[in-house]
Amino acid sequence: MSDHDHDHDHDRTVKPMVEEITDFEVLEIALRELCIEKGLFTAEQHRIFTEYSEQIGPTPGARLVARAWLDPEFKKLVTSDPMAASKEVGVDWLDPTGFGTPSDFHAFKVLEDTPKLHHVIVCALCSCYPRPILGNSPEWYRTPNYRRRIVRWPRPVLAEFGLVLPDDVEIRVEDSNQKHRFMVMPMRPEGTEDWSEEQLVEIITRDCVIGVALPKPGVTTNVTTITRPAVRPIAE
Amino acid sequence: MSTAAEREEQLALISRLRATYPEVPEWPTPDMITHDHFLAYMKTNHDQGGQLNVPEPFANKEEEQWELMTYVLCEVLGWGGIWVSEERRRIANVDVGLPIYLGLPYYSRWLWSVGRLLIEKGYLSWSELTDRLAEVRERYAGGLDGRLPVAEPKFEGDGSTVKRNGFHVDAVGKGDPTMYAGQADKAKFAVGDRVKVRELPALYYTRTPEYVRGAEGTIADLAYESPAPEDETWGREDVKAEWFYIVRFKQTELWDSYSGPASDTLQTEIPERWLQAVG
Repeated sequence: MSDHDHDHDHDRTVKPMVEEITDFEVLEIALRELCIEKGLFTAEQHRIFTEYSEQIGPTPGARLVARAWLDPEFKKLVTSDPMAASKEVGVDWLDPTGFGTPSDFHAFKVLEDTPKLHHVIVCALCSCYPRPILGNSPEWYRTPNYRRRIVRWPRPVLAEFGLVLPDDVEIRVEDSNQKHRFMVMPMRPEGTEDWSEEQLVEIITRDCVIGVALPKPGVTTNVTTITRPAVRPIAE
Repeated sequence: MSTAAEREEQLALISRLRATYPEVPEWPTPDMITHDHFLAYMKTNHDQGGQLNVPEPFANKEEEQWELMTYVLCEVLGWGGIWVSEERRRIANVDVGLPIYLGLPYYSRWLWSVGRLLIEKGYLSWSELTDRLAEVRERYAGGLDGRLPVAEPKFEGDGSTVKRNGFHVDAVGKGDPTMYAGQADKAKFAVGDRVKVRELPALYYTRTPEYVRGAEGTIADLAYESPAPEDETWGREDVKAEWFYIVRFKQTELWDSYSGPASDTLQTEIPERWLQAVG
Protein backbone atom coordinates (compact mmCIF):
# COMPACT_ATOMS: atom_id res chain seq x y z
CA MET A 1 0.00 0.00 0.00
CA SER A 2 1.23 3.42 -0.84
CA ASP A 3 1.68 5.86 1.98
CA HIS A 4 0.66 8.54 -0.45
CA ASP A 5 -2.97 7.71 -1.13
CA HIS A 6 -4.51 10.22 1.20
CA ASP A 7 -6.34 13.26 -0.07
CA HIS A 8 -3.76 15.98 -0.24
CA ASP A 9 -3.14 19.34 -1.80
CA HIS A 10 0.25 18.83 -3.40
CA ASP A 11 -1.22 20.05 -6.67
CA ARG A 12 -1.45 23.51 -5.19
CA THR A 13 2.23 23.80 -4.64
CA VAL A 14 4.05 21.25 -6.75
CA LYS A 15 3.79 21.69 -10.48
CA PRO A 16 5.18 19.17 -12.94
CA MET A 17 8.44 20.27 -14.59
CA VAL A 18 7.33 21.17 -18.09
CA GLU A 19 9.26 23.50 -20.32
CA GLU A 20 6.59 26.06 -21.12
CA ILE A 21 6.52 28.65 -23.87
CA THR A 22 6.86 32.11 -22.29
CA ASP A 23 4.33 34.94 -22.48
CA PHE A 24 6.86 36.95 -24.50
CA GLU A 25 7.34 34.20 -27.06
CA VAL A 26 3.58 33.78 -27.51
CA LEU A 27 3.12 37.52 -28.07
CA GLU A 28 6.02 37.82 -30.49
CA ILE A 29 4.89 34.85 -32.57
CA ALA A 30 1.26 36.00 -32.68
CA LEU A 31 2.19 39.52 -33.75
CA ARG A 32 4.71 38.40 -36.35
CA GLU A 33 2.26 35.94 -37.91
CA LEU A 34 -0.51 38.53 -38.09
CA CYS A 35 1.81 41.19 -39.57
CA ILE A 36 2.88 38.83 -42.35
CA GLU A 37 -0.70 37.71 -43.03
CA LYS A 38 -1.80 41.36 -43.25
CA GLY A 39 1.06 42.18 -45.61
CA LEU A 40 2.56 44.83 -43.31
CA PHE A 41 5.98 43.50 -44.22
CA THR A 42 7.16 40.47 -46.15
CA ALA A 43 8.73 37.31 -44.78
CA GLU A 44 11.68 38.21 -47.03
CA GLN A 45 12.14 41.60 -45.33
CA HIS A 46 12.02 39.87 -41.97
CA ARG A 47 14.67 37.39 -43.10
CA ILE A 48 16.94 40.12 -44.50
CA PHE A 49 16.73 42.21 -41.34
CA THR A 50 17.36 39.19 -39.13
CA GLU A 51 20.50 38.34 -41.10
CA TYR A 52 21.63 41.94 -40.87
CA SER A 53 21.09 41.99 -37.10
CA GLU A 54 22.97 38.76 -36.57
CA GLN A 55 26.15 40.04 -38.22
CA ILE A 56 26.54 43.42 -36.49
CA GLY A 57 29.08 43.68 -33.68
CA PRO A 58 31.76 45.90 -32.17
CA THR A 59 34.63 44.99 -34.53
CA PRO A 60 34.06 47.68 -37.21
CA GLY A 61 34.07 50.33 -34.47
CA ALA A 62 37.36 49.01 -33.12
CA ARG A 63 38.81 48.90 -36.62
CA LEU A 64 37.76 52.50 -37.24
CA VAL A 65 39.70 53.60 -34.15
CA ALA A 66 42.75 51.44 -34.91
CA ARG A 67 42.97 52.76 -38.46
CA ALA A 68 42.63 56.36 -37.22
CA TRP A 69 45.52 55.75 -34.82
CA LEU A 70 47.68 54.46 -37.65
CA ASP A 71 46.70 56.84 -40.41
CA PRO A 72 46.37 60.60 -39.75
CA GLU A 73 44.49 61.08 -43.04
CA PHE A 74 41.92 58.50 -42.02
CA LYS A 75 41.62 60.15 -38.64
CA LYS A 76 40.70 63.40 -40.39
CA LEU A 77 38.02 61.53 -42.33
CA VAL A 78 36.63 60.04 -39.11
CA THR A 79 35.99 63.48 -37.68
CA SER A 80 35.03 65.29 -40.91
CA ASP A 81 32.89 62.58 -42.55
CA PRO A 82 32.15 59.70 -40.15
CA MET A 83 29.73 58.11 -42.65
CA ALA A 84 32.49 57.84 -45.26
CA ALA A 85 34.92 56.56 -42.62
CA SER A 86 32.37 53.92 -41.57
CA LYS A 87 32.19 52.66 -45.15
CA GLU A 88 35.95 52.18 -45.10
CA VAL A 89 35.50 49.66 -42.29
CA GLY A 90 32.58 47.96 -44.03
CA VAL A 91 29.62 49.74 -42.46
CA ASP A 92 27.06 51.50 -44.64
CA TRP A 93 24.64 53.34 -42.36
CA LEU A 94 21.95 53.12 -45.08
CA ASP A 95 21.88 49.31 -44.79
CA PRO A 96 19.81 47.17 -44.83
CA THR A 97 16.70 49.14 -45.86
CA GLY A 98 18.17 51.84 -48.08
CA PHE A 99 17.54 54.38 -45.33
CA GLY A 100 19.36 52.65 -42.50
CA THR A 101 18.01 50.79 -39.52
CA PRO A 102 14.85 52.65 -38.46
CA SER A 103 16.01 53.00 -34.85
CA ASP A 104 19.61 54.12 -35.40
CA PHE A 105 19.18 57.00 -37.85
CA HIS A 106 21.84 58.43 -40.14
CA ALA A 107 23.80 60.83 -37.94
CA PHE A 108 27.02 59.52 -36.45
CA LYS A 109 29.77 61.31 -34.59
CA VAL A 110 33.06 60.06 -33.18
CA LEU A 111 34.19 61.79 -29.99
CA GLU A 112 37.96 62.16 -29.90
CA ASP A 113 39.65 61.92 -26.51
CA THR A 114 42.73 64.06 -25.79
CA PRO A 115 45.17 64.12 -22.86
CA LYS A 116 42.83 66.67 -21.22
CA LEU A 117 39.41 65.37 -22.33
CA HIS A 118 37.67 62.04 -21.79
CA HIS A 119 34.25 61.18 -23.27
CA VAL A 120 31.67 58.68 -22.07
CA ILE A 121 28.34 57.96 -23.79
CA VAL A 122 24.88 57.19 -22.45
CA CYS A 123 21.29 57.49 -23.51
CA ALA A 124 19.50 58.60 -20.35
CA LEU A 125 16.15 58.16 -22.13
CA CYS A 126 16.41 54.66 -23.52
CA SER A 127 19.38 52.90 -25.08
CA CYS A 128 20.40 54.89 -28.16
CA TYR A 129 23.66 53.33 -29.32
CA PRO A 130 25.52 53.16 -32.67
CA ARG A 131 24.23 49.65 -33.47
CA PRO A 132 25.36 49.48 -37.11
CA ILE A 133 29.01 49.93 -36.12
CA LEU A 134 29.07 48.45 -32.57
CA GLY A 135 26.26 45.89 -32.54
CA ASN A 136 23.77 45.73 -29.70
CA SER A 137 24.38 47.64 -26.50
CA PRO A 138 25.26 45.65 -23.39
CA GLU A 139 22.48 45.14 -20.86
CA TRP A 140 24.09 47.39 -18.23
CA TYR A 141 24.15 50.29 -20.71
CA ARG A 142 20.34 50.07 -20.90
CA THR A 143 19.69 49.86 -17.17
CA PRO A 144 18.12 52.77 -15.30
CA ASN A 145 21.04 52.54 -12.87
CA TYR A 146 23.69 53.47 -15.46
CA ARG A 147 21.39 56.03 -17.11
CA ARG A 148 20.38 57.70 -13.86
CA ARG A 149 23.87 57.97 -12.43
CA ILE A 150 26.41 58.48 -15.23
CA VAL A 151 24.98 61.90 -16.14
CA ARG A 152 25.22 63.13 -12.54
CA TRP A 153 28.02 61.14 -10.91
CA PRO A 154 30.32 60.27 -13.84
CA ARG A 155 33.49 59.94 -11.80
CA PRO A 156 32.08 57.54 -9.18
CA VAL A 157 30.38 55.45 -11.90
CA LEU A 158 33.56 55.27 -14.00
CA ALA A 159 35.42 54.25 -10.85
CA GLU A 160 33.02 51.29 -10.54
CA PHE A 161 34.32 50.22 -13.96
CA GLY A 162 37.84 50.61 -12.62
CA LEU A 163 38.50 53.87 -14.45
CA VAL A 164 39.82 56.68 -12.29
CA LEU A 165 40.89 59.86 -14.10
CA PRO A 166 42.83 62.79 -12.61
CA ASP A 167 41.00 66.05 -11.93
CA ASP A 168 42.83 67.87 -14.71
CA VAL A 169 41.16 65.62 -17.29
CA GLU A 170 37.74 66.98 -18.19
CA ILE A 171 35.08 64.29 -18.24
CA ARG A 172 32.46 64.98 -20.86
CA VAL A 173 29.29 62.91 -20.70
CA GLU A 174 27.52 62.70 -24.06
CA ASP A 175 23.83 61.99 -23.54
CA SER A 176 22.70 60.76 -26.96
CA ASN A 177 19.05 61.54 -26.46
CA GLN A 178 18.08 62.39 -30.06
CA LYS A 179 19.14 61.23 -33.54
CA HIS A 180 22.92 61.42 -33.28
CA ARG A 181 24.72 58.20 -32.42
CA PHE A 182 28.10 58.53 -30.76
CA MET A 183 31.23 56.49 -30.25
CA VAL A 184 34.39 57.39 -28.35
CA MET A 185 37.81 57.41 -29.97
CA PRO A 186 40.20 56.82 -27.08
CA MET A 187 43.87 57.75 -27.20
CA ARG A 188 46.38 55.18 -28.38
CA PRO A 189 48.08 53.72 -25.32
CA GLU A 190 51.81 53.59 -24.80
CA GLY A 191 53.51 50.32 -25.57
CA THR A 192 51.72 49.82 -28.90
CA GLU A 193 54.15 51.79 -31.09
CA ASP A 194 54.97 49.07 -33.61
CA TRP A 195 51.61 47.27 -33.48
CA SER A 196 49.61 46.29 -36.56
CA GLU A 197 45.95 47.24 -37.11
CA GLU A 198 44.94 43.68 -36.16
CA GLN A 199 46.82 43.88 -32.87
CA LEU A 200 45.31 47.27 -32.05
CA VAL A 201 41.76 46.10 -32.84
CA GLU A 202 42.14 43.44 -30.13
CA ILE A 203 42.58 45.96 -27.32
CA ILE A 204 39.90 48.43 -28.49
CA THR A 205 37.07 46.76 -26.61
CA ARG A 206 33.42 47.75 -26.70
CA ASP A 207 33.82 49.31 -23.27
CA CYS A 208 36.66 51.52 -24.58
CA VAL A 209 34.45 53.00 -27.30
CA ILE A 210 31.60 53.57 -24.83
CA GLY A 211 34.14 55.36 -22.65
CA VAL A 212 34.00 53.29 -19.46
CA ALA A 213 37.48 51.84 -20.04
CA LEU A 214 40.79 52.80 -21.66
CA PRO A 215 42.63 50.57 -24.11
CA LYS A 216 45.60 48.84 -22.57
CA PRO A 217 48.14 46.36 -23.98
CA GLY A 218 47.21 42.91 -22.76
CA VAL A 219 43.56 43.70 -22.05
CA THR A 220 41.25 42.32 -24.73
CA THR A 221 38.05 41.78 -22.76
CA ASN A 222 35.38 44.11 -21.46
CA VAL A 223 35.42 45.18 -17.82
CA THR A 224 32.34 43.19 -16.90
CA THR A 225 32.21 39.70 -18.29
CA ILE A 226 29.46 38.44 -15.98
CA THR A 227 26.67 37.34 -18.30
CA ARG A 228 23.23 36.13 -17.35
CA PRO A 229 22.37 33.26 -19.67
CA ALA A 230 19.18 33.27 -21.77
CA VAL A 231 16.45 30.64 -21.35
CA ARG A 232 16.33 30.05 -25.10
CA PRO A 233 19.25 31.95 -26.65
CA ILE A 234 19.43 33.03 -30.27
CA ALA A 235 19.22 29.91 -32.42
CA GLU A 236 22.27 29.13 -34.55
CA MET B 1 -8.93 26.68 -16.05
CA SER B 2 -8.23 28.50 -12.85
CA THR B 3 -9.69 27.55 -9.51
CA ALA B 4 -11.22 29.94 -7.00
CA ALA B 5 -8.07 29.62 -4.91
CA GLU B 6 -5.83 30.47 -7.85
CA ARG B 7 -7.93 33.51 -8.68
CA GLU B 8 -7.59 34.74 -5.11
CA GLU B 9 -3.86 34.14 -5.19
CA GLN B 10 -3.45 36.18 -8.37
CA LEU B 11 -5.53 39.02 -6.89
CA ALA B 12 -3.33 39.01 -3.81
CA LEU B 13 -0.29 39.33 -6.09
CA ILE B 14 -1.76 42.32 -7.92
CA SER B 15 -2.69 43.95 -4.60
CA ARG B 16 0.98 44.07 -3.68
CA LEU B 17 1.93 46.30 -6.65
CA ARG B 18 2.46 49.88 -5.49
CA ALA B 19 2.10 52.52 -8.19
CA THR B 20 1.57 55.73 -6.21
CA TYR B 21 3.50 57.96 -3.82
CA PRO B 22 3.14 56.67 -0.26
CA GLU B 23 2.48 60.16 1.14
CA VAL B 24 -0.74 60.51 -0.86
CA PRO B 25 -3.52 57.91 -0.65
CA GLU B 26 -4.56 55.93 -3.68
CA TRP B 27 -7.39 57.55 -5.61
CA PRO B 28 -6.72 61.06 -4.24
CA THR B 29 -9.05 64.02 -4.38
CA PRO B 30 -7.79 67.04 -6.37
CA ASP B 31 -6.82 69.01 -3.25
CA MET B 32 -4.33 66.32 -2.23
CA ILE B 33 -2.15 66.75 -5.31
CA THR B 34 0.54 69.43 -5.26
CA HIS B 35 2.09 70.90 -8.42
CA ASP B 36 5.26 68.90 -7.74
CA HIS B 37 3.37 65.65 -7.49
CA PHE B 38 1.47 66.50 -10.65
CA LEU B 39 4.75 67.10 -12.50
CA ALA B 40 6.22 63.90 -11.13
CA TYR B 41 3.25 61.82 -12.27
CA MET B 42 3.24 63.53 -15.67
CA LYS B 43 6.98 63.12 -16.20
CA THR B 44 7.73 60.95 -19.23
CA ASN B 45 9.06 57.93 -17.43
CA HIS B 46 11.83 57.12 -19.91
CA ASP B 47 13.60 60.26 -18.60
CA GLN B 48 15.76 58.61 -15.94
CA GLY B 49 18.81 60.90 -15.87
CA GLY B 50 19.82 62.17 -12.45
CA GLN B 51 17.43 60.06 -10.38
CA LEU B 52 18.80 58.58 -7.19
CA ASN B 53 20.11 55.04 -7.21
CA VAL B 54 22.55 53.06 -5.13
CA PRO B 55 25.43 51.44 -7.02
CA GLU B 56 24.70 47.96 -8.32
CA PRO B 57 26.96 45.59 -10.26
CA PHE B 58 26.94 46.17 -14.02
CA ALA B 59 26.33 42.96 -15.93
CA ASN B 60 25.66 41.63 -19.42
CA LYS B 61 22.95 39.28 -20.53
CA GLU B 62 22.67 36.77 -23.29
CA GLU B 63 19.92 37.60 -25.76
CA GLU B 64 16.79 35.46 -25.97
CA GLN B 65 15.66 34.38 -29.44
CA TRP B 66 12.36 36.22 -28.91
CA GLU B 67 14.28 39.39 -28.03
CA LEU B 68 16.12 39.38 -31.35
CA MET B 69 12.84 38.58 -33.11
CA THR B 70 11.16 41.47 -31.31
CA TYR B 71 13.87 43.89 -32.36
CA VAL B 72 13.56 42.68 -35.96
CA LEU B 73 9.75 42.91 -35.82
CA CYS B 74 9.91 46.54 -34.73
CA GLU B 75 12.49 47.45 -37.34
CA VAL B 76 10.74 45.79 -40.29
CA LEU B 77 7.52 47.60 -39.33
CA GLY B 78 9.59 50.77 -39.73
CA TRP B 79 11.00 49.51 -43.02
CA GLY B 80 7.44 48.89 -44.24
CA GLY B 81 6.28 52.39 -43.30
CA ILE B 82 3.88 51.26 -40.57
CA TRP B 83 5.56 53.51 -37.99
CA VAL B 84 8.71 55.52 -37.35
CA SER B 85 10.92 54.51 -34.44
CA GLU B 86 9.89 57.56 -32.41
CA GLU B 87 6.34 56.16 -32.24
CA ARG B 88 7.75 53.01 -30.71
CA ARG B 89 9.83 54.94 -28.18
CA ARG B 90 6.74 56.74 -26.87
CA ILE B 91 4.53 53.68 -26.72
CA ALA B 92 7.15 51.31 -25.32
CA ASN B 93 8.92 53.67 -22.92
CA VAL B 94 6.34 56.20 -21.83
CA ASP B 95 2.79 55.06 -22.51
CA VAL B 96 3.44 51.80 -20.67
CA GLY B 97 3.45 53.61 -17.33
CA LEU B 98 6.09 53.33 -14.64
CA PRO B 99 5.18 49.89 -13.17
CA ILE B 100 5.64 48.17 -16.54
CA TYR B 101 8.58 50.43 -17.47
CA LEU B 102 10.56 49.33 -14.46
CA GLY B 103 8.90 45.97 -13.87
CA LEU B 104 9.20 44.11 -17.16
CA PRO B 105 12.19 43.28 -19.39
CA TYR B 106 13.47 45.81 -21.92
CA TYR B 107 12.36 44.03 -25.11
CA SER B 108 8.99 43.03 -23.67
CA ARG B 109 8.07 46.69 -23.83
CA TRP B 110 9.13 46.88 -27.49
CA LEU B 111 6.86 43.89 -28.04
CA TRP B 112 3.96 45.41 -26.11
CA SER B 113 4.24 48.55 -28.25
CA VAL B 114 3.75 46.59 -31.48
CA GLY B 115 0.34 45.19 -30.50
CA ARG B 116 -0.73 48.52 -29.10
CA LEU B 117 0.28 50.40 -32.26
CA LEU B 118 -1.32 47.96 -34.68
CA ILE B 119 -4.63 48.02 -32.83
CA GLU B 120 -4.62 51.80 -32.44
CA LYS B 121 -3.87 52.37 -36.12
CA GLY B 122 -6.51 49.88 -37.19
CA TYR B 123 -4.18 47.30 -38.73
CA LEU B 124 -5.38 44.68 -36.29
CA SER B 125 -8.45 44.21 -34.15
CA TRP B 126 -8.30 43.30 -30.49
CA SER B 127 -10.13 40.06 -31.28
CA GLU B 128 -7.69 39.06 -33.99
CA LEU B 129 -4.80 39.48 -31.61
CA THR B 130 -6.54 37.75 -28.73
CA ASP B 131 -7.60 34.80 -30.86
CA ARG B 132 -4.09 34.40 -32.21
CA LEU B 133 -2.54 34.57 -28.76
CA ALA B 134 -4.86 31.79 -27.62
CA GLU B 135 -4.09 29.78 -30.75
CA VAL B 136 -0.32 30.05 -30.34
CA ARG B 137 -0.56 29.09 -26.68
CA GLU B 138 -2.70 26.10 -27.63
CA ARG B 139 -0.03 24.87 -30.09
CA TYR B 140 2.38 24.52 -27.18
CA ALA B 141 -0.18 23.47 -24.56
CA GLY B 142 1.71 20.35 -23.54
CA GLY B 143 4.99 22.21 -23.13
CA LEU B 144 7.73 22.75 -25.66
CA ASP B 145 9.03 19.22 -25.30
CA GLY B 146 12.39 20.13 -26.79
CA ARG B 147 10.89 22.17 -29.63
CA LEU B 148 11.72 25.83 -30.25
CA PRO B 149 8.73 28.15 -30.60
CA VAL B 150 8.25 29.13 -34.25
CA ALA B 151 6.03 31.57 -36.11
CA GLU B 152 3.79 29.86 -38.65
CA PRO B 153 1.98 32.48 -40.73
CA LYS B 154 -0.96 30.85 -42.54
CA PHE B 155 -0.17 32.77 -45.74
CA GLU B 156 1.69 35.87 -46.88
CA GLY B 157 -0.74 38.76 -47.26
CA ASP B 158 -0.97 41.19 -50.17
CA GLY B 159 0.61 44.38 -48.88
CA SER B 160 -0.26 46.55 -51.88
CA THR B 161 -3.27 48.24 -50.26
CA VAL B 162 -1.75 48.64 -46.79
CA LYS B 163 -1.63 52.24 -45.55
CA ARG B 164 2.01 53.29 -45.12
CA ASN B 165 3.79 56.51 -44.25
CA GLY B 166 5.60 58.59 -46.85
CA PHE B 167 8.75 58.51 -44.78
CA HIS B 168 9.79 54.96 -45.67
CA VAL B 169 9.93 55.96 -49.34
CA ASP B 170 11.23 59.54 -48.97
CA ALA B 171 14.12 58.44 -46.77
CA VAL B 172 15.54 55.88 -49.21
CA GLY B 173 19.03 56.74 -50.35
CA LYS B 174 19.26 59.61 -47.88
CA GLY B 175 18.57 58.42 -44.35
CA ASP B 176 17.03 60.24 -41.42
CA PRO B 177 17.75 63.10 -40.54
CA THR B 178 19.91 63.67 -43.67
CA MET B 179 16.69 63.73 -45.69
CA TYR B 180 15.59 66.97 -43.97
CA ALA B 181 18.72 68.98 -44.85
CA GLY B 182 17.84 72.43 -46.13
CA GLN B 183 14.24 72.36 -44.87
CA ALA B 184 14.51 74.30 -41.61
CA ASP B 185 14.46 78.06 -41.19
CA LYS B 186 17.82 79.70 -40.67
CA ALA B 187 19.44 78.52 -37.44
CA LYS B 188 18.72 80.91 -34.57
CA PHE B 189 21.90 80.05 -32.70
CA ALA B 190 25.57 79.69 -33.61
CA VAL B 191 28.41 77.73 -32.03
CA GLY B 192 29.51 79.50 -28.85
CA ASP B 193 26.14 81.16 -28.17
CA ARG B 194 24.83 81.01 -24.62
CA VAL B 195 21.37 79.46 -24.39
CA LYS B 196 18.90 78.50 -21.73
CA VAL B 197 16.71 75.42 -21.96
CA ARG B 198 13.06 76.46 -21.78
CA GLU B 199 10.83 74.96 -19.14
CA LEU B 200 7.95 73.94 -21.37
CA PRO B 201 4.99 72.14 -19.78
CA ALA B 202 5.71 69.01 -21.82
CA LEU B 203 2.86 66.55 -21.46
CA TYR B 204 2.82 63.05 -23.02
CA TYR B 205 6.22 63.12 -24.71
CA THR B 206 9.53 64.87 -24.98
CA ARG B 207 13.19 63.98 -25.40
CA THR B 208 14.54 67.06 -23.66
CA PRO B 209 15.61 65.67 -20.29
CA GLU B 210 14.21 67.21 -17.14
CA TYR B 211 17.70 67.58 -15.68
CA VAL B 212 18.65 70.29 -18.21
CA ARG B 213 15.40 72.25 -18.20
CA GLY B 214 16.00 75.77 -16.95
CA ALA B 215 19.77 75.30 -17.17
CA GLU B 216 22.14 77.48 -19.19
CA GLY B 217 24.67 76.09 -21.59
CA THR B 218 26.69 76.82 -24.71
CA ILE B 219 26.01 75.74 -28.28
CA ALA B 220 28.77 73.22 -29.06
CA ASP B 221 27.56 72.21 -32.52
CA LEU B 222 24.72 72.57 -35.00
CA ALA B 223 23.64 68.96 -35.24
CA TYR B 224 21.15 68.61 -38.14
CA GLU B 225 17.68 69.60 -39.27
CA SER B 226 14.75 67.38 -38.33
CA PRO B 227 11.16 67.49 -37.14
CA ALA B 228 11.12 67.41 -33.35
CA PRO B 229 10.50 64.05 -31.67
CA GLU B 230 7.53 65.55 -29.82
CA ASP B 231 5.79 65.65 -33.23
CA GLU B 232 7.35 62.59 -34.87
CA THR B 233 6.20 60.40 -32.02
CA TRP B 234 2.57 60.75 -33.16
CA GLY B 235 3.44 59.72 -36.71
CA ARG B 236 2.85 63.23 -38.05
CA GLU B 237 4.46 63.95 -41.39
CA ASP B 238 3.23 67.51 -41.88
CA VAL B 239 5.69 69.09 -39.46
CA LYS B 240 8.47 71.44 -40.52
CA ALA B 241 12.05 70.53 -39.69
CA GLU B 242 13.97 72.69 -37.23
CA TRP B 243 17.61 72.92 -36.21
CA PHE B 244 18.93 70.65 -33.48
CA TYR B 245 21.92 71.69 -31.41
CA ILE B 246 24.47 69.93 -29.26
CA VAL B 247 24.47 71.97 -26.09
CA ARG B 248 27.32 71.84 -23.58
CA PHE B 249 26.63 72.29 -19.88
CA LYS B 250 28.99 72.63 -16.96
CA GLN B 251 28.29 69.81 -14.51
CA THR B 252 28.69 72.17 -11.55
CA GLU B 253 25.86 74.28 -13.01
CA LEU B 254 23.59 71.31 -13.78
CA TRP B 255 23.86 69.79 -10.32
CA ASP B 256 23.84 71.65 -7.04
CA SER B 257 25.78 68.88 -5.34
CA TYR B 258 28.31 68.11 -8.11
CA SER B 259 31.58 67.34 -6.39
CA GLY B 260 33.88 66.74 -9.37
CA PRO B 261 36.20 69.35 -10.92
CA ALA B 262 34.69 72.52 -12.38
CA SER B 263 35.91 71.57 -15.85
CA ASP B 264 33.61 68.50 -16.15
CA THR B 265 30.87 68.88 -18.76
CA LEU B 266 27.82 67.18 -20.21
CA GLN B 267 26.46 67.50 -23.74
CA THR B 268 23.04 66.68 -25.04
CA GLU B 269 21.06 67.37 -28.20
CA ILE B 270 18.14 69.78 -28.10
CA PRO B 271 15.74 71.03 -30.79
CA GLU B 272 15.50 74.79 -31.33
CA ARG B 273 12.00 75.13 -29.87
CA TRP B 274 13.42 74.23 -26.46
CA LEU B 275 16.12 76.91 -26.46
CA GLN B 276 16.15 80.63 -25.75
CA ALA B 277 18.99 83.13 -26.00
CA VAL B 278 20.72 84.23 -22.81
CA GLY B 279 21.83 87.80 -22.16
